[in-house]
Amino acid sequence: MTKRNTFTAVAWVFCFLGAASLPFLTSRYQISLLTEIIIFALYGVTYNLLLGYGGMLSFGHAMFFGIGAYTAGILLTSVTGTPFWAIVVCAFIITALAGFLVGSLLLKVKGTPFALLTLAFNSLFFAIAFKWYAVTGGDDGLSIQRPNIDLGFWTLDTSNVSTFYYITLIVLSASILACWYFTRTAMGQTVLLMRENENRMQFIGYNTAVSRLILFTFTACFAGLAGAFYTLHFRFVSVDAISVGMTTTVLLLTFIGGTGHFAGPLIGSAFYIYLQDYLSEYTDRWPFFMGLIFIVMVMYAPGGVSGIIVSGGKWLQERFRSPKREIEGT
Amino acid sequence: MEEVFVFFLHGLAYAGLLFLVSSGLTLVFGMMDVLNFAHASFYMLGAYFSYMVLSMTGHLWLSMLICPVMLFVIGALVERFLLRKVHSGGHVHELLLTFGLAYILGESVKWIWGNYPLSITIGGFLSESINLFGVTYPVYRLFVLLSSICVGIAMALILYKTRLGIIIRAAVNDRTMVNALGINVPLVFMGVFGFGAALSGLGGVIAGPFLTTSPSMADDILITAFVVIVVGGMGSLLGTVVASLLIGELQSFGVLLFPKFSMALIFLLMAVVLIVKPSGLFGVEQS
Repeated sequence: MTKRNTFTAVAWVFCFLGAASLPFLTSRYQISLLTEIIIFALYGVTYNLLLGYGGMLSFGHAMFFGIGAYTAGILLTSVTGTPFWAIVVCAFIITALAGFLVGSLLLKVKGTPFALLTLAFNSLFFAIAFKWYAVTGGDDGLSIQRPNIDLGFWTLDTSNVSTFYYITLIVLSASILACWYFTRTAMGQTVLLMRENENRMQFIGYNTAVSRLILFTFTACFAGLAGAFYTLHFRFVSVDAISVGMTTTVLLLTFIGGTGHFAGPLIGSAFYIYLQDYLSEYTDRWPFFMGLIFIVMVMYAPGGVSGIIVSGGKWLQERFRSPKREIEGT
Repeated sequence: MEEVFVFFLHGLAYAGLLFLVSSGLTLVFGMMDVLNFAHASFYMLGAYFSYMVLSMTGHLWLSMLICPVMLFVIGALVERFLLRKVHSGGHVHELLLTFGLAYILGESVKWIWGNYPLSITIGGFLSESINLFGVTYPVYRLFVLLSSICVGIAMALILYKTRLGIIIRAAVNDRTMVNALGINVPLVFMGVFGFGAALSGLGGVIAGPFLTTSPSMADDILITAFVVIVVGGMGSLLGTVVASLLIGELQSFGVLLFPKFSMALIFLLMAVVLIVKPSGLFGVEQS
């Protein structure tokens, strides 16, 4: 492990420990917001794998988030006594299947047709969720109770805000770590190369269609996991979870955080949710200010918050290093 | 049989409205390749401006003249001062910028006119019904159809029969070359974007008395308009006409035959078309 990697790993561990100690420091409301941030962080990280790493602009990521959310909601309302872990695993598997199915229909399309086709599939799933009232509750949605976790010797009370926060933190951090690990594998590197020059990859002998399908399925199942936790967190799931608006949310928060860095969506999620929380306290018209912020960001800081931090760090480095170099040079 | 005929006419009227909105999008998205998510917001603004003009003057033809001009100015300003600056960033940046714009316009409308539907009523002959081949049918829907046909013919004439049309099509094809020939391409693009916004605004003016004028009207039509463009093929005017008709009728008969799945039908159509022919029905195949 190089020095830089050790530094990054230490920084991540500190972030995790910091997040773990927060419930002791803040109010119940803040903890609930933090849980939401973690959920959207995972959702954003999966989206960034598609957009930032794979260069695939999807308008339909919410279908996987929504399928995960509905899997949790439907299991909890129609099957009594479903254990917590079964929900999480089912959501993961079902969205993986959905991702594989949709992804295999999208193998050949790229660019704008890809974006619009994902939008079409998202809208299709939305229409199903909206109209299939008997199962999904349509416009009314489904209300659920979080099941407690029975560890055999000890039962975790998930209705406690802090307990649920810790469960979310552990499971979703592990998932984010898995996504990070994915970018480090040969497969992850293939995805990066594919974004840079797909023709060349094909020429070398890679089957880029299969790589794209793997990436698509991978991001889908983790988005589904985030969706399942979304339902568990709000104890409610409605068509909002699978709407185009949910895709917009992830696109915006990923972009705010910055698509150029793995940690971008984590920052973006915190920024987005706090900003929304803060603005909605003062005005009902908060989307107006959100819109304004997006426009300013797109025009003046297209690298997002992480882009600002990275270039700020470089600027600092330059500032402190350059006098030294001058001395060495003379 | 009569019912089928009425639904067929409904479909035609809806197709006409769809064509008005998506023909502007054909210019902006299909030809200029700008992913404009604020396009339907221009349509909504058109309806609200028309509400203002109608409540002041009471003449629909006046608002059909004034509102598109207002939207043209707004569209041109948006292109000049916002979109042009992020064009080099590609689709994602344009998309986010227009998303932000759609948020701002949507919220502004709620701020100014309130978050509830407004009803626009027009008097005179247009609000009556006539007897058409044995069925009574509202005149206004036929008027919607007629206006969209006029717009379609005008657009075809401008694009394919005038010098301006040649310049636009050439600029879309090879921007640098046309620029080198001494034509101010950025100005042309500004004009085309403004014209697209004006068409969308005209759609809003016409939709006002036909559908409800509310802040959610933009979201209602946006996705459908994109579906029309994609099914018809990017940048093809003929494709837009055919796809509008197809989707208008599909929507209309979908409501009649499968009320539960009418929403899903058009997306199914889009998915099938894109999987079979990714460039759309009349699109040019790109390698």
